[in-house]
Amino acid sequence: MAMLEVERLRKSFGGLTATNDVGFHVDQGEIVSIIGPNGAGKSTVFNLITGVYRPDAGDVRFEGTSIVGKSTNQVVDLGIARTFQNLRLFTNLTVLENVLISQHHRLRSNWLSAVFRTPSYRRQERAMREVATEKLGFFGPRLQSFRLHQPVYVLSYANRRRTEMARAMATGAKLLLLDEPSAGMNPKETSEITQIIRRMRDEGGYTIVVVEHKMNLVGEISDRVIVLDYGQKIAEGAYRDVVNDPKVIEAYLGKKAGDDKREELADG
Amino acid sequence: MARIVTPTAFDAIDPKKRVRNVALTFLAVGVGVLVLYLLEGIGSTKLVQALALFAIWGVATVSLNLINGTLGILSLGHHGFMLIGGYTTGLLMLDEAARQRILTSARSTMTEETLALSVSNLLRGFGLEALTTPETLWVRFLIAIFLGGLLAAFAGLLVGTPSLRLRGDYLAIVTFGFGEIIRLTASTRLFSAYTNGALGFPGVTSEFGKSIWWTFGALAFTVFVISKLKYSSYGRAMQAIREDEIAAQAMGVNVAYHKVLGFVISAFFAGVAGGLWVSWLGGVRLDFFLFQLTFFFLVAISAGGTGSITGVLLGTAVVVFVRQYGDPLEESYSIQTWLYIASATLALAAAGAVLFRTLRRLRPRLHWGSWVLVGGAAAAALVAAVDPAVIEGTFRGFGMRAIFLSVLLIVIMVFRPDGMLGRTEFSWSWFLREQRTGPTDEERTQDAWLSNPAFGSEAGRAAAREQELAEDDTDAPEGSDDEGRR
Repeated sequence: MAMLEVERLRKSFGGLTATNDVGFHVDQGEIVSIIGPNGAGKSTVFNLITGVYRPDAGDVRFEGTSIVGKSTNQVVDLGIARTFQNLRLFTNLTVLENVLISQHHRLRSNWLSAVFRTPSYRRQERAMREVATEKLGFFGPRLQSFRLHQPVYVLSYANRRRTEMARAMATGAKLLLLDEPSAGMNPKETSEITQIIRRMRDEGGYTIVVVEHKMNLVGEISDRVIVLDYGQKIAEGAYRDVVNDPKVIEAYLGKKAGDDKREELADG
Repeated sequence: MARIVTPTAFDAIDPKKRVRNVALTFLAVGVGVLVLYLLEGIGSTKLVQALALFAIWGVATVSLNLINGTLGILSLGHHGFMLIGGYTTGLLMLDEAARQRILTSARSTMTEETLALSVSNLLRGFGLEALTTPETLWVRFLIAIFLGGLLAAFAGLLVGTPSLRLRGDYLAIVTFGFGEIIRLTASTRLFSAYTNGALGFPGVTSEFGKSIWWTFGALAFTVFVISKLKYSSYGRAMQAIREDEIAAQAMGVNVAYHKVLGFVISAFFAGVAGGLWVSWLGGVRLDFFLFQLTFFFLVAISAGGTGSITGVLLGTAVVVFVRQYGDPLEESYSIQTWLYIASATLALAAAGAVLFRTLRRLRPRLHWGSWVLVGGAAAAALVAAVDPAVIEGTFRGFGMRAIFLSVLLIVIMVFRPDGMLGRTEFSWSWFLREQRTGPTDEERTQDAWLSNPAFGSEAGRAAAREQELAEDDTDAPEGSDDEGRR
């Protein structure tokens, strides 16, 4: 059974149809990339899955149950976590605190036992810290030791991206939605992120959906690629097949000038 | 060679220092208790009252800061919560003589039933006659203040719930409106049987509100609960909401629940502060709970430092000091004296400007603005000294305290927009010269690792060394080539 099933998803903002009958599925342990030109509706799909927007029509099922209408934090409880295209870290808090906050929803103590630091609360807090360092450990020692206690605003851009990925992993989610994980990174950092995403699947056991613009990264990691254009799915399949699809090439590069004119004449 | 940094450093401070800090804190609390004990013995009544007021307002500001500083919501309705706690405590603790007086007064709107509401009667209802004696007044006060806090917390639930849909300025207006609604509703006929309308009622015991031990006890309890909450997982979640609400929700934080939780806890302590405030004043009246009260708390929070509990207490101390010891500012002086005061203030401002520019290394050190200030000071002093006959008469500086506080706030906001302490809490390391000058060993090893991650593992290090050896040959001609080009 597919882990995530998206069926005929439709959402429009006023007159603009952001996604139109988009449907796809993601199997356990897969890395699926969603690509498409700017404004194709990739981020909207993420927002529809995570409950930021409510779809006008269609269904999203996670492990067999529909998650349409659930609030964003309930979706996280079920096991879907995301990162953001333009980093949304808690900038005045430390790296460790950022990664601890995403585990807060699994805390099984009420606020009074947190205030009085009951043994059960202390145990959970310690466990949370261990999970936090484990997830930050995916990125080598660069986010360990003294970095744990540095506020996020002093971190470099690449480290902020890494922190955000660690934060998403720490939620305890099974499915990660990464929105442009390599945006703003140099080629060296991009190739490192490529390795990390693979390891997240192989060692961490996460299923991953990536929205990306960098084609070499997409080509290296994806088991399957889904192409969106103007809110519609225009292609799906292995990277090699998809990039040679004439429809995909057209979406990215456009038609020849002559083609357009000929079409207009035909319409007229 | 670079040593791998092991991921074990959970704590921001080293455990030994933590033990030392805890010991120092206990010592400081002990010294504080001793000082309070001595002050209670030898200090004037005025001083004791000022200290008690500091503690009462401290309870209010620290709890308001849970919403404003930790949760990041500007709440302007704290006086409303305090009113609920205050009236509840006042009514439940009213002494018998006062009850009789109100009952027989023609202007009173309270009824026999509402006047029968008291903790004593409640305890009698449970058959606990032993707790209704004058010696056990403190038990009744504790119960009253707790009930007042609970009622205020319920109001917090009502205010917190609409806050889920609103953000920023809009929410501030809603909380402000709620505070005013609570105050105005209390004066209507609907509630005047409980509140005695605009008259209020005197005769609430001052035994607790003016006692250093009760008020500081309440403050200690408040600071304990709020600081433990702030540094728990719940507090982190609240700070996440302050930083980025959308991200907090996307990371699984139930934003609605945590906002309402913050409001309820804060309102509870506001109710407790209201009960103590009523006891400090010795009676209940509507104009004890004007918006001005919340304004003073906000000044204390902004001046002290949003998001820092110790900073907020520092700000409260400043505000209470000006309020209690600012009477000389509002007295009547001859105009000559006022001119000298103005002259001295301008001269001080000029000196401050020069000091500031020196510290910040701004040039020229003597800005023309400083000369204007000096000129003004000289002119005022000259007029005052030369011709006192022209400027006969006296002037009374009504409202000078508020003006002084406002100017103080402006100065703090200009030079330290985050308040005196900003977001940082007081720390013992300030006194123990623990400032860092260079990178630590840990940071050096990590820098080494970052410049070549291959050095991270033993095998990688060996490989890197081999590679270095192999590259040595190829590097040489390239280097010479570069030089040739130059």
